[in-house]
Formats: sequence, structure tokens, C-alpha cells
Amino acid sequence: MIRIRVQLPAHLRTLAHVAGEITVQIDGTVTQRSVLDALEVNYPTLRGTIRDHITHRRRAFVRFFACGEDLSLESPDTPLPEPVATGREPFLVVGAIAGG
Amino acid sequence: MNFSNEEILRYSRHLIMPEVALAGQARLKAARVLCIGAGGLGSPVALYLAAAGVGTLGIVDFDVVDSTNLQRQIIHSTADVDRPKVESAAERLHGINPYITVRTFDTQLTSDNALGIIREFDIVVDGSDNFATRYLVNDACVLEGKPYVYASVYRFEGQASVFATAGGPCYRCLYPEPPPPGMVPSCAEGGVLGVLPGLLGVIQATEAIKLVLRTGDTLAGRLLLVDALSMRFSELKLSRSPDCPVCGDHPTVHELIDYEEFCGVRGEEHDDGLSVPEIGPAELKRLLDSGEDLLLLDVREPHEREIVHIGGHFIPLGDLPERIHELNSAHQIVAYCKSGVRSARAVEFLRSAGFRRVRNLRGGINAWAELVDPSLPRY
Repeated sequence: MIRIRVQLPAHLRTLAHVAGEITVQIDGTVTQRSVLDALEVNYPTLRGTIRDHITHRRRAFVRFFACGEDLSLESPDTPLPEPVATGREPFLVVGAIAGG
Repeated sequence: MNFSNEEILRYSRHLIMPEVALAGQARLKAARVLCIGAGGLGSPVALYLAAAGVGTLGIVDFDVVDSTNLQRQIIHSTADVDRPKVESAAERLHGINPYITVRTFDTQLTSDNALGIIREFDIVVDGSDNFATRYLVNDACVLEGKPYVYASVYRFEGQASVFATAGGPCYRCLYPEPPPPGMVPSCAEGGVLGVLPGLLGVIQATEAIKLVLRTGDTLAGRLLLVDALSMRFSELKLSRSPDCPVCGDHPTVHELIDYEEFCGVRGEEHDDGLSVPEIGPAELKRLLDSGEDLLLLDVREPHEREIVHIGGHFIPLGDLPERIHELNSAHQIVAYCKSGVRSARAVEFLRSAGFRRVRNLRGGINAWAELVDPSLPRY
């Protein structure tokens, strides 16, 4: 089992009742899909907020980053960068906010 | 461009920097920068651009100053409450720098007027507070070829970038579609640390000045994330999307559209977009006074209930799914929150769970305090 660090935007942390960075345990290849699957199992209230309920496709107002790079358009089954897969760097879920 | 002796003295700390110097200060004086909104972000943006000597500063805002603005909108003062924001801002800016021109637009930016207003400026700085205006500003900037200096804030977190530069991404490349109404709370609903828009607004002002001076590396192609709680700044790479409907290889948006329809609401701050049964504060008061068997349901957070409450059962919205068994679906229920947005989601949830006699208190406890019991504080 590998411990993956995940950072969520503030409103999703509120929804998941968590503060700060969270971790999820992954068994096997670390991909966007495996991380998000684990995230939704651990925090069911996040279902439908990051990915569509039915299609499981990333929602258009959310993006995925890691190591400074935008991974949003990568296949959900592409292995995440090694620093994320080894827990050195977090997987970032970034969402649109509009406050001013 | 000529500067008076007073102006030379005023801008001396710029003039002695080789990156600015007289030529750069002349560029600033000739520049025309438009600030969308004179709020949390717009306040520091306008204050610093005025102080820096940006010759023509435009401000668009249709709102009036409210007491709740003063915690962060530092361009306005207590005496300005109820004054139009553009009037209050212009007065302050002239006080800081009488050598600039301030153009005020006491109107809402709309699809009808946006291109005409933006066309008269070189750079647009967005300090708006809702998704519809952000997409409107983005599309207008792309169509008019004006750099769009972006920032947004929520609680302790902010984002900043520069969009719509030649070859760079636009806001739609980052977020092609807005969140559904109610999914991402506004600052009015979720709060914002007062200094955070100051932090992000100063970044926007910095980027606008660099664009005018044509110096340094702007945030074009980069998204800056600011977490004030940990005081961490992260930088993420952004690229122009070839599929972007506005700036992509085959754009499909050639004119401004109906952005309220695009975002599904009349602005996130004003409405939750949900259509659920409602009751007004006066009608609720009448029912309570008549002894109606009715359960009030407070769905706010514990720290909000400490500020003010009007009784009733207390279940924060996020806990409602696991505590729904505490409610009787046969009862008449009126859910309330601060302004009626979260309680509308609670009503929607309860109705989907089979509750038929549940309504939302329109305008929340703030409307109750305003219309029924003025002894209660609003927040």
C-alpha cells in the first residue's frame, strides 16, 4: 500500500469534513483514477464534485496538477509522476472560485 | 510626455529604477487600465495603480458600499456606507494622486456594454465576485485582444494569472465551464480572510504594471495558488487549449453571449439556482405567532449559530445525510441558513428523501433580522 498526498480546494475540504492535506492508501499503480477512486471511497460526499457521477470524467471546473504540471488532459489511467506515487509531492485538485 | 516638477518628485522612487525610469513612468501615465469591481480585489488594485501613476484608471461597479465590505474593501471608509462604490473609490483615488484621470462606470458590466467599455482601455483587471462576470470579462478581453489580469479568492485561498495575451491561455482554457450554481460557495456565503484580496489584488496590480512597462515575466501561462493559512505560494503551468471555444484553433464564440444563462444563475452571490418551495420571513413570523406546528431547521455551521440564531433544530448541511433520521417527514419544516443558499440545498436534499412539507426561509436569518426582528445582528 502506498500513501498518496492529496490537496483539495477549500470548499471540498469543508464538504469532506477535513482540514489541510489528506492522504489516501493505494494498492497497485498510482493513477488519477486510483487516487480519485480511493478518495471517493474514503470521503463519499466528494462523489460527483470532482468527477461526474456517471461518466467519472473530470468536471470542467476542476483541474489536476502535480509537480507544477497540468495533468488534467492526461488519461485517468496514466501513472502519476514518481514524486506523487512515492508521497514526496501532493496530487493537487484545483477548482474554480469566483470571490473578489 | 512631460512631467511637472511635482510629478517628478512624486514618482522619484520609480524614476531612479532603470527598469522604470522616465520612459517607464511615461508609459504608466499613458496607460489606460480598467478595474472590474471596486471590492476586495479592486480596492488594492486601484489604490496601487493610482499611486503608481497609471494615467487613466477606469472603475466599473454598480453596487453601493455596505458595512460588510469594510473588513477588506480598503478603498472605502465607514462614512462611505450607502454611497455608490465608484463615487467613493474615485474620491479616494483623486486624494492619493490628483495627476491621474479616473473614469467611473456606475453600471453592471453586461454583454451589451462590455466590449464598448473594454475597448477604451489597454488592460483589464478583474476583481469581480461571480462566475458570470468572469466569463464575460474573459471573452470580451479575448475578442478585443486585451490582457486579462485575473485573481479570485475564497476563505484563505487565492488564484492569480494573466490571461488573453498573445499565444497564452484564457480563463476558459483553465475552466471551460463554471461550477453548477451553489456547488462553490461565494465569499458572502463561505467567508474570506480580509487581507487575502489585499494580497491577491497587489499581485494583480504588479502584473498590470509589468504589462504596461513591458518588463519582467508576467503570470501568463502560469497559475499562482496562494494559501494564506500555510503562507505557501504554488505555481502551476497552464497552456492555451487548442479546443478552447474562445481562443482555440477553431473558436466558436465570436461575440458575447448570455453569461447568466451560461452560468445557470443570475450571479452566484445572489442566487443558488435551485427551485425549491420558499417562505418569506413575514409569513414565517405569522405562522409561528399563530402557533402552527412547525419545525425550524438551522443548517449552518456551529460557529455561525454562535453569532445569532432563531432557535429550531440544528443540523449543519454537511451532516444532514447521516442525521436525517432526527427529522420527521410528516412535520412541517422550514430550513434556514445565513442567506438562503445552503438551506435551499437542504430543502432539495430533504425533498429528494421524501420530505414533502419542507420549505426554505427566503433570504435566511439575515432577512429575518432585517424584516422581522431588527434587534438581531446580521452578518
